[in-house]
Amino acid sequence: MDRRTFLKIFGSGVAGATTGNLLSPGRSFAKGDLSGQEFNGILVDTTRCIGCRRCEKACAEVNGLPIPDISESKNEDVLKEPRNTSDTQYTVITKYETEKGTIFVPKRCMHCNQPGCAAACLVKAMKKRPTGHVTWDSNCIGCRLCMISCPFDIPKFEYNKAMPRIQKCNLCYERFKKGELPGCVEACPTGALMSGSRRQILEEGKRRISDNPDKYVDHIYGEYEVGGTSHLYLSAVPFEQIGFRKDLGTVAYPEYSTGFLFAVPFIFVLWPLAMLGINRATKKSKEDEGHHEEHHNEKGKH
Amino acid sequence: MAGEKLNLVDVVPEKQEGPSFKRISDFIDFIKKELKPRGNIATPFNLISLPIMLLGYVLIVLRLAYGLGQPITNLNQQYPWGLWIGFDVVTGVAFAGGAYVLCFIVYILRVEKYHAIIRATVLNGFLAYLFYAGAIVLDIGRWWNIYNPMIGNDFGVNAVMFLVAWHFFLYMLAELVEFSPAIAEWLGLRRLRKILGIMTLGAVVFGITLSTLHQSGLGALMMMAKSKIHPLWYTEFIPILYFVSSIFAGLSMVIFEGSITHKVFSYQVDASHHEHYNDILVGLARICSVAMFGYFFLKVLLVVHEHAVQYINSPMGYWWLFEVIGFILVPCFLFASGAQQRNMAMIKFAAIITMVGIILNRLNYTFLAYNWYVPLSEKYWPSWIELIITASIILTEVWAFRWMVNRMPVLKAPPAWAVEKEH
Amino acid sequence: MDELFTYYDMFASKGPEYLIIIGFFIVIVAFWTFVNMSTER
Repeated sequence: MDRRTFLKIFGSGVAGATTGNLLSPGRSFAKGDLSGQEFNGILVDTTRCIGCRRCEKACAEVNGLPIPDISESKNEDVLKEPRNTSDTQYTVITKYETEKGTIFVPKRCMHCNQPGCAAACLVKAMKKRPTGHVTWDSNCIGCRLCMISCPFDIPKFEYNKAMPRIQKCNLCYERFKKGELPGCVEACPTGALMSGSRRQILEEGKRRISDNPDKYVDHIYGEYEVGGTSHLYLSAVPFEQIGFRKDLGTVAYPEYSTGFLFAVPFIFVLWPLAMLGINRATKKSKEDEGHHEEHHNEKGKH
Repeated sequence: MAGEKLNLVDVVPEKQEGPSFKRISDFIDFIKKELKPRGNIATPFNLISLPIMLLGYVLIVLRLAYGLGQPITNLNQQYPWGLWIGFDVVTGVAFAGGAYVLCFIVYILRVEKYHAIIRATVLNGFLAYLFYAGAIVLDIGRWWNIYNPMIGNDFGVNAVMFLVAWHFFLYMLAELVEFSPAIAEWLGLRRLRKILGIMTLGAVVFGITLSTLHQSGLGALMMMAKSKIHPLWYTEFIPILYFVSSIFAGLSMVIFEGSITHKVFSYQVDASHHEHYNDILVGLARICSVAMFGYFFLKVLLVVHEHAVQYINSPMGYWWLFEVIGFILVPCFLFASGAQQRNMAMIKFAAIITMVGIILNRLNYTFLAYNWYVPLSEKYWPSWIELIITASIILTEVWAFRWMVNRMPVLKAPPAWAVEKEH
Repeated sequence: MDELFTYYDMFASKGPEYLIIIGFFIVIVAFWTFVNMSTER
């Protein structure tokens, strides 16, 4: 994309000036301040990703994970296999051979607008922050229902530790609070990753599609999927060819549990009354009662 | 009906008056005496179960020390839930459902016929929650945090799991109150026995409400696994299926457990009870049959409702048919015809098939039909350690049940002083 | 996206469901008779 056009449209040059050189223009939109209620996210343009895995390395450095070897020869080996995020890799690049040639797709937590994992958590260890970040906290009891409730299979559990944690991308929440870019965005050499508020990156994605209708499929993955996500993807080929599920629907995942949860108070009110009522209605009348008692004592029972 | 009621008063209970405690040391001596094993220790059951239990305890320590990974469990990133949650907790709770169903029948509908088995059933339910639901401590990865949802760190009121956790806890208390008269009779605490007797109805009403909600809640846990559970099993009405199936799962367990305890502890019950007991079994078999009849139609309707009919003609579809015909329709028929012919063997056989079906059904949701598109080679299967620990927990529960039945008036008649106050 | 604009009948399963219910009503008569039959009395 032409950087000048970009600056003109979004005025992120101003943002760059105010937040320091980390926010180099072309990589980010203005940071919303922490009190802002706007979700932040990352626009992933898969047409720009070259599979260099620098985002993986930067992610590992930022989050204290094992640093991967990203030399070219190693990359070739690694990318041969289908890949998935793990308890030591918050983001991974997967290679897909498609009708339009090789495409690299960086995958990580989608930071859903209404995350299933957060709705599933009984201690609110998994939380959707007002800033859009989905983060994990150590009050977690390790029940792993977040893993089951995630449509993208993102939360990963440290099975081989006595004191395990749930591991996943948190959109560099700590760095964000310091006004810094997510590690992966900062490291990306081609601008395949761009962070900003969800509104801004959505507009940018739409603009790229309308400017280059031949280059992109007319769909932004994450705009509506599972109620919208804060990570948005652009692609040159239909998304199912690069490992995205198209059967997830547009309903926010927590909606699926509301039918049950919203019925609970009704049961709590109606059930006891119904049972007390039946219990009273089946009670024998006074005369029967006397008769009954007599019988009782004579026969004895338990 | 009333004439057939247990004729237990002429059988003189062992301890007519129960112990009396003048001093604290009396109480301690009594407990010490009661803790000692009674009768022959070297029974075949003990000789087989004890090594398994001890091995299980060692493995439990290893699990706590090394975490859940290989080789302790075969759980992985694709299958976060396995045997411990799918069988111990989810199936175990369904099997414990007999307590709330019988409490409803006996205390709410006042059907006296089933009164004779209520204590054994409630005790069984209580121990099932204590041990099987307690097995969740082993399964949750960060078990030292288990009290967090209770103390408000944090109250995740958004979560179905929050509801289930609280309900487990409260329901255990309710069942303890329901069973506590037997404990008071054992200890000879007359005044306490009276107070606890009064609390029974409250505990029953509260307990049934909680059971309705957490039996269905266990199903609601899977609601957000919509994209992972096979469409033949996933429906927005999973909670209702779980609730309905807990009725016949629980009663099948009552039939199964009762037929064993009545053999093992037959010296504790007199002959008239045995005849009466067959009436009870026939009645339970009828209830099971009707509940399964309804459940079968719900299963069929929901497949149509979820537009999943086209999946029937596929390997997973055959698996679904296997479950629905082999483990719902067939036992439904066996229960009905067993009740009709008063064929106890057939009723017990039907109960066993039903229980196997419930295990299959709950495991379908947790791992068999979960991530069903994963190739067979990558599927989760329980490790031997998971199996041994599960067996060890079940056996420990059986030991605890046996200990209590041998000492408290569960099957045998309550002491004479307590009988008149009943109800 | 194209699939967002394709119509699908949300209530397509209602007809078959009602047919199953009618079948249920018919079977329940036979079932109830069977359950309450007793070879002894």
